[in-house]
Amino acid sequence: MNLCISLPDNAAEDIIYSLPADFTPEGEKMNGHFCVTKEKIIVYSQNKILNEYKISDFSEFICLRRTGTSIAQGITVGGETVCFCGFTQNLFLRFAELLKLLDYYVRTGELITETDGDEPSCPKCGLPLEGAKECIYCTSKGRTMTKLLKRIAPYKKYFAIAVACTILSEAIWVLTPYLDRLIIDKYVTPKYENWGGFIAVVITITLLLLLAGVFEFFNMKYSFKVALNLGKDLREDVFEKSQTLSMSSVSKRTAGELINRISSDAAKLEDFITANGKDAIVKILSLVIIGVLLFFMDWRLALMTVLPVPIVFIIVNKLFDTMSVRYTKVWKKQTHHSEILHDILNGIRVVKSYGSETKEIRRYSDCSEEWAKSAVRAEIMWYLTIPISEFILTIGNFFVLYFGGKMILGHEMTLGALIQFTTYVAMLYEPIRWLIQIPKNLADASVSAGKVFEILEEESELRDCENPVKLDIKGDIEFDGVYFGYKVYNPVLKDISCKIRQGEMIGIVGHSGVGKSTMINLILRLYDCTQGEIRIDGVNIKDIEQHSLRSQVGVVLQETFLFDGNVLENIAYAKPDATFEEVIKAAKIANAHDFIVKLPDGYNTRVGNKGYQLSGGERQRIAIARAILHDPKIIILDEATASLDTQTEKQIQEALGKLTKGRTTIAIAHRLSTLSSADRLIVLDKGRLAEFGTHEQLMKQKGVYYKLVMAQRQTTKMKKAVTIQTAEA
Amino acid sequence: MNNTINNDTEIYEVDKLTILDCEKLKFKQEDSGFLTLEYDGRTYHKVTPTRLIPFYSKTTYISLSYENEEKEFREVGVIKDMKELPEQQYKLLDSYLEYKYFMPEITKVYSIKDNMRGAIFVKADTTSGQKTICIRDWYQNFRMIGYDYLYVNDADGNKYFCPDIHKLDRKSRQVLEMLT
Repeated sequence: MNLCISLPDNAAEDIIYSLPADFTPEGEKMNGHFCVTKEKIIVYSQNKILNEYKISDFSEFICLRRTGTSIAQGITVGGETVCFCGFTQNLFLRFAELLKLLDYYVRTGELITETDGDEPSCPKCGLPLEGAKECIYCTSKGRTMTKLLKRIAPYKKYFAIAVACTILSEAIWVLTPYLDRLIIDKYVTPKYENWGGFIAVVITITLLLLLAGVFEFFNMKYSFKVALNLGKDLREDVFEKSQTLSMSSVSKRTAGELINRISSDAAKLEDFITANGKDAIVKILSLVIIGVLLFFMDWRLALMTVLPVPIVFIIVNKLFDTMSVRYTKVWKKQTHHSEILHDILNGIRVVKSYGSETKEIRRYSDCSEEWAKSAVRAEIMWYLTIPISEFILTIGNFFVLYFGGKMILGHEMTLGALIQFTTYVAMLYEPIRWLIQIPKNLADASVSAGKVFEILEEESELRDCENPVKLDIKGDIEFDGVYFGYKVYNPVLKDISCKIRQGEMIGIVGHSGVGKSTMINLILRLYDCTQGEIRIDGVNIKDIEQHSLRSQVGVVLQETFLFDGNVLENIAYAKPDATFEEVIKAAKIANAHDFIVKLPDGYNTRVGNKGYQLSGGERQRIAIARAILHDPKIIILDEATASLDTQTEKQIQEALGKLTKGRTTIAIAHRLSTLSSADRLIVLDKGRLAEFGTHEQLMKQKGVYYKLVMAQRQTTKMKKAVTIQTAEA
Repeated sequence: MNNTINNDTEIYEVDKLTILDCEKLKFKQEDSGFLTLEYDGRTYHKVTPTRLIPFYSKTTYISLSYENEEKEFREVGVIKDMKELPEQQYKLLDSYLEYKYFMPEITKVYSIKDNMRGAIFVKADTTSGQKTICIRDWYQNFRMIGYDYLYVNDADGNKYFCPDIHKLDRKSRQVLEMLT
């Protein structure tokens, strides 16, 4: 990214980086610059030097994000914090990058003077790209639609049949007015009683209409086949994508929003394709054919028919912008509705226990009402335009009848020809009406298409490297200078280095928010570390195939999620091909067998959302059985026993003991007593690895761990805060 | 030092709300840009004032906090209403807060363009000049708080606000009506 945006006037010559700065350290607005040379940081205000700092005086640089403005800070070797300048948030990423470079400079003595070309925002619309190569927002609407049409490709055979059938049935419809004209002009008007010829024409008409019906049937059959398959594909693709996206992408969206995108947006596109996909070809074709026919029959009358069309077009297109905003609003309300629904139903226990059902019912009805209101507003606008535009559109018809009638009276035209003509005019209005509807449908569909493709085209940040290794994991884990932050500029873990040996049980302790779970997420490679390396059996984790890695790591979390299904299925989740005997063995080891036997339907008892309610300890034992069956080489216990009472915890500990035997185990627990069986403990403090050793060693050190243990022993006696006086005892 | 692990002998009571006496508060702005606070005979360095209810009020319920030597969060207390501060002190604290919560006010809206992908571009006059504000996921970041207050969070993280959209001119109101 460009870190030299604008230089102050008469600036020093050796400036390498320069970013605009909007505030003085005291917070006054200024028109200034933050400049970096090889030795110095110079802050300019109104092109005059405000402050100068020597880079070597600093040990760390921090970019601090605040609510409205952010500030660039440095920490001197003496530990004093210095504020260089403040700036508005649009410069944040650049400042963060620059300060990271400076930080690296003071740590390693190497100043990187070339930065890569990645720009933080799209040059066209200014929205941040967040790592994407091309701004997804600036790709045109047409392209989104083309992408949608491309998805028809696998069904092009069906699609072709549908189109062919429609064209044939359209052709029949075009032919019948001509036959009507024949009847009127040849037999009815002259009162010519040639029954043979008359009946022949009538039979032809009947047969043609029957044939048209047959074509129509095949058309419907195949176009639905295409559309429903397309919808199915989209749903499946979006779902598949939502499963393969990295955790950070998934956690950006609420479950309700994802559900909406998978079900309702895909359905909308499906409808759009059914209603408009093949119609586009056919309608345009019939428009052209009928148009040519009309002009061929009588160009003056034809002109009268088409004259009002542009006016209607202009009116409707003017409304397009308004419409699209209103439909976006409907979309927003609908998504909000799903979110609220998901939220309330998920928290139903809280709702019930606080007796706030009526409040929630009101909240739900309010939002449901708002959705309905916004939809009504959008639709009303649309249906207000329809009758008016319809009237203007068909006004030509009256002229045709008036002038056509005059022509018949003046023997310039036959009655049959006029009837044929007006039938064609009526047929012409159909594709025109459809064309007028297009903006609405397009607006509606392109909102959904945009949403769907946004997910489909999102690049997963975690990809397997080119030749990923399928590793048979033994269980050595090594952290080597690992830095990680959910936001690059805000590291949660700093410079973590440690070696965990095969078969060891390691406990990770530290205050909440210190990065314990983050460390585990890194081992599972739910995220990639920003700097440094994690190695398993000496192989960089990024080189190991993700599937191979995760299939050999077992996790027991604080809250076990049981899928809807029976106990057997839930235990066998990690190994679907396990035999029943294996499942029982696993359940036995996990101390789960005994309580499963007591369940009404044994291993076939339905659990999960709609099923039998198991207690926390029972669920945890099922999770352990699941992990045992999985036979992982590395086991992660994230607060596995935190939500259980001490009695149950004991039983679970026993089960866990069997699970972890001989396997590398990493456990997080707040209750330090839980970690008594750990071989060694990693103590995290402020994102850094503060201590690493056995319980005895750490207690002797009297450092962070000692303090934690002491504090925890006290909490039972004294709930007020943490401290000290008592620690002296 | 053998038995003590912290020489700070004071107990920090997490569960007690301290409402600060505005008469006793004395702020000083350091060259480094940080605030130093003298209160009740104690001096606190690098004090961070925080608006507890930034959307509802800018000058009431201001929490003052700092980090102790252990880098732990410590709250000095809460100012209930800044009006009770002496004028000089009020100005100092207010300008610091205005800087921290720097948020240009929207004074006029010209047009709103929707790219149909959840992002909108709002051309508007703000107290920091005319701007085209890009907002992503506008249904989250361009929203009404209550009936009057418009809160805008742009794609870069800059924040804008309009305290009462009903007081804007007719044209702006019409443009906004579509989205709010």
